[in-house]
Amino acid sequence: MKGSRKSKESLGWAFFLGLGLGLLIWDSAAAQAPIKIGASISVTGTYAKLGSYTRDGYLMCAKEINDKGGLLGRKLEFVIYDDRSEGPTAIKLYEKLITEDKVELVMGPYSSPITAAASTVSEKYKKIMMASLAATTSIWERGFKYLFMTISPAEVYMEGLVDLAAERGLKTIAVINEDTLFSKAAAKGTIDLAKKKGLQVLMHDAYPKGTTDFSGMLIRMKALKPDVIVGGSYFDDAVATTRQMKELDFNPKMVGVTVGGDVPDFGKQLGKTADYVYGSTQWADDVKYPGAKEFTENYKKMFNREFSYHAPAAYGACQVFAEAIRRAKSLDSDKIREQLLKLKITTAFGDYQVDERGFQTAHKMVLIQWQEGRRVTVWPAQLAEAKPLYPTPPWSQRK
Amino acid sequence: MSIQITGSMLLQGVVSGILAGGLYAMVALGMALIFGVMRVINIAHGTLLMLGAYSTFWLFSLYGMNPFLSILISFPLLFLVGAILQRLFVYQVVNAPELSSLLLTFGISIFISNMAMVAWTADYRSVEFLTGSFLLGPIALSKPRLVVFGFALTITELAFLFLNLTKIGKAIRATSQQRDLAQVCGINVRRIDLITFGLASGLAGAGGSLLSVMFSVFPEMGQIYVFKSFLVIVLGGAGNYPGAFFGGLILGLAEGLASLFLSAQLSEVIAYILLVLILLVRPTGLFRGRV
Repeated sequence: MKGSRKSKESLGWAFFLGLGLGLLIWDSAAAQAPIKIGASISVTGTYAKLGSYTRDGYLMCAKEINDKGGLLGRKLEFVIYDDRSEGPTAIKLYEKLITEDKVELVMGPYSSPITAAASTVSEKYKKIMMASLAATTSIWERGFKYLFMTISPAEVYMEGLVDLAAERGLKTIAVINEDTLFSKAAAKGTIDLAKKKGLQVLMHDAYPKGTTDFSGMLIRMKALKPDVIVGGSYFDDAVATTRQMKELDFNPKMVGVTVGGDVPDFGKQLGKTADYVYGSTQWADDVKYPGAKEFTENYKKMFNREFSYHAPAAYGACQVFAEAIRRAKSLDSDKIREQLLKLKITTAFGDYQVDERGFQTAHKMVLIQWQEGRRVTVWPAQLAEAKPLYPTPPWSQRK
Repeated sequence: MSIQITGSMLLQGVVSGILAGGLYAMVALGMALIFGVMRVINIAHGTLLMLGAYSTFWLFSLYGMNPFLSILISFPLLFLVGAILQRLFVYQVVNAPELSSLLLTFGISIFISNMAMVAWTADYRSVEFLTGSFLLGPIALSKPRLVVFGFALTITELAFLFLNLTKIGKAIRATSQQRDLAQVCGINVRRIDLITFGLASGLAGAGGSLLSVMFSVFPEMGQIYVFKSFLVIVLGGAGNYPGAFFGGLILGLAEGLASLFLSAQLSEVIAYILLVLILLVRPTGLFRGRV
């Protein structure tokens, strides 16, 4: 009787030991397979430059997490394809990533229009899409459950410029924008902010993506003599409008562009012509967020070039995502979603908190101005490195 | 939001339009030559222009060469590229049905622009050489565009002199008027084909060099000029070379004025409307007769 009980006991022990061993083996096997994170990035096409910073941010985040032992005991590995700056291509790529490559997580592409398109796929497969670089409010008005926002919305991009203009008693503003999702929202938001501050909107015009000659629009605008010009632009259109304003001797008191003005190449391509132009940015390298300084140093070490806010935004989004996964202790979409909704943290990119739609509410914008070939933070006052140079002198008086 | 159009705005629009038109004329002349002599619609014309723009960009950014001086390199370089393309591929579709030449040159164009993307990435680049404007009262004359216009006119004029005064030029025009007859008269039409394609490519390359001073340089920059050149040829009448010149100026002017009265979105359509109208009303082009 005793003997049989003992043997039953040992059998039980053996069973648990076996189970434990099995789990251990299974676990270590899993530890070897990295977590694949899929994303499409604009490697070619109009958004190529900004897309490349997005990719850099992702890769840096993965490297740092991997150096610290990975996430849930597994390494991270990005699977990135080129969407050629086109929404329809991104849709195909996310389908492929989720169904063929079987990635376990996805992160967003660069730009609002492409995120708007690509998120329909992630939502269909109930995958969380951590949208690192989409700033258009309407994307979060579609009732998607698994889409989370990182950067400040398009509508407030030019808040700083409008603020400074109102402070200086300027009265009139003209707005042009590329006729795509983000730029439209940025222009509309700027117009609303300007009206609230008592500025009169003299002109609002949109141009198709890919326009290179803006002369006609600028000639019409010049005739109206607005104090402030806002371009709801990406990169090449921001460069072209600035250059063509000079060619037409068009001299408003303040000129601001939404996106391109923050890119280092803006100053490199335009040289002195870039001076006095305001650009808005989600991040500047003099901001005082924890880890921001280290980010700048590490970026330059890893990629050996300068960057714009797109890199820390992508990096920050990835860090937020990782933190939510750590807290959820799982890759299950619904568990991560629960954490992302209640998470409230500050990364190197700044504050993160979202409302029930996944819409960003905590992150703050920064306004920069080109001063003698450098990007200088001029707004908000508590972050400002220098006072804005005002007013912009006429072209004829500049060297 | 309607805007009062003033006289000075109108004048500014006319000036900007004509300045743009000079370049259209020069680029279109190349395409018109190829069509005239070989009955080939060269879709790859825009990519040849892009290659010209990149050669200027690299010469400028690596060696600091004056972009206008770089035409002395981009023209012969593209002449060579064009001649090689003609010898390897295009000779097969000379006088063949239009579809063959469209398909072939379309393929060449995709190949070249993708190679350019691989080699130089899709980044937008610019040649920051000449900026700003001369002021004439209320009118601003853009410095780069003015100089580009001057070069485009000069190069186009030289091309006309070549066509009218030299023996080869006369042979090109003869071939374009009556290929068989030209051959019977002892003109080596295959050699003429080669020279014409080279010359046209050279014109596209020089056009690219000039464009790079005004606009960004990127692998797909030439595509819009294929369409515009095509339109200019239709405007001027196929095979009518001086017609192509005036067609270019008219297109530039129409675009310049349209952009004053219409929103940017609508003024982009003007070129297309112009094309449809001409084809409906005067399919032989505005300028009758062949030269």
